[in-house]
Amino acid sequence: MATAQLVDLTINGEEHEVRADGATTLLDVLRDQLQLNGAKRGCNQGVCGACNILLDGQAVRACLVVAGTAEGREITTIEGLERDGELSPVQQAFLDTGAVQCGFCMPGMVISAEALVQANATAGVEEIREAISGNLCRCSGYVKVIDAVRSVTGG
Amino acid sequence: MGVALHQPETVEDAVRLAGQEVDARFLAGGQTLVAMMNSELIEPAALISLDRIASLKGIRINGDGSVHIGAMTRHAQIAESKDLTGVHAIVRDAAQVIAHPAIRNLGTIGGAVSHGDPNADFPAALVAADATFQVRGGDGEREIAASAFFQDYLTTDLKDGELVTGVTLPKSPDSGRGHYEKFARADGDYATVSVAVALAMTAADKVDWIRIVVGACGPAPVRVAEAEDALAGGDLDAAAVAQAADKIAAACDPLDDVRGSTDYRRLLVPRLIAKAVAATRTRTGD
Repeated sequence: MATAQLVDLTINGEEHEVRADGATTLLDVLRDQLQLNGAKRGCNQGVCGACNILLDGQAVRACLVVAGTAEGREITTIEGLERDGELSPVQQAFLDTGAVQCGFCMPGMVISAEALVQANATAGVEEIREAISGNLCRCSGYVKVIDAVRSVTGG
Repeated sequence: MGVALHQPETVEDAVRLAGQEVDARFLAGGQTLVAMMNSELIEPAALISLDRIASLKGIRINGDGSVHIGAMTRHAQIAESKDLTGVHAIVRDAAQVIAHPAIRNLGTIGGAVSHGDPNADFPAALVAADATFQVRGGDGEREIAASAFFQDYLTTDLKDGELVTGVTLPKSPDSGRGHYEKFARADGDYATVSVAVALAMTAADKVDWIRIVVGACGPAPVRVAEAEDALAGGDLDAAAVAQAADKIAAACDPLDDVRGSTDYRRLLVPRLIAKAVAATRTRTGD
């Protein structure tokens, strides 16, 4: 019995029909079917945060969401943050602050920061630290990430 | 081959599907289950997602002052709930320190308790809160106390095809308060040792009752009734608490692993108990 089903997903405002079974994660769909490679497959265990995406505006691990359960929900990846060719304020702040080192963790880090800023536009340092606490940067470049988010929130 | 995905909208349908499918798993928030599937630790033939069952979501205060938390309520919602006050604050405390924000946005209390990991945060907190779990299976509904639910590493009282549908916390007395103290190597890690405390005071400001539960120190949350009884009627002075804490530490059976050696954890337990009891005693404002 073939168990893969057609699943309708709304990703970055566009409708996509993908094939997925119960073991297909959103990360599998994004990277392997749609070539949206911004979300990274770091640990595939929910530990590293490199695959973070927004699900109905909340940061979640794409590697821990069964794709079929995301039907009818609004999925935003790092590719969907820019508007009319302009980076989002958070993305621009990361660039301006020099918060990016090797870059692998950055899509997940930016998504965590976006979720924070959308929920709390004036977040302070402690809230910023908490928001990115689940994003591992093995360049250990956390200070400039915090500086970047502070430059957006004024925190 | 492949893994079938079912998304029922009622508990009845979820339980019925579990009875029909071979080797099916209920999928709650997926924050452990999907990670285990990704690493091929488990390879179920079917998943029964509970995400579309609206009746399993949310927190409500019952007429008798008890609090019901639906099994599919996310950690993030519990962590922010203003309905969890007095003794119930332990559960909110615990939810706030589970893993990281993105995990808390999807992880659920029903999934967390069903996994039965004694190193997780909810088991000790829910035993200290004297919680009861509602369970539904092919043979109908039953209730089980948290203290009897957690039996061994990754082993609970759940039978095949049974599902936790909710958690009920008994009414907190007016003087009731709670606190969850977690000691971890790094923010978001599992606890090396955790301590959950609930207590109520008498009108004369003596201990009416106290529950002290240690997590991450054995196959199930550790509670020693004799040590708690010895504190009843007293003032929680340091010597009495230390004596109780030593008794509880003696009952712990911690693992020797990357989060701490057995000896280290045994040293931590009485210190963390003293800290948690003091924090509970002086807690105000919620």
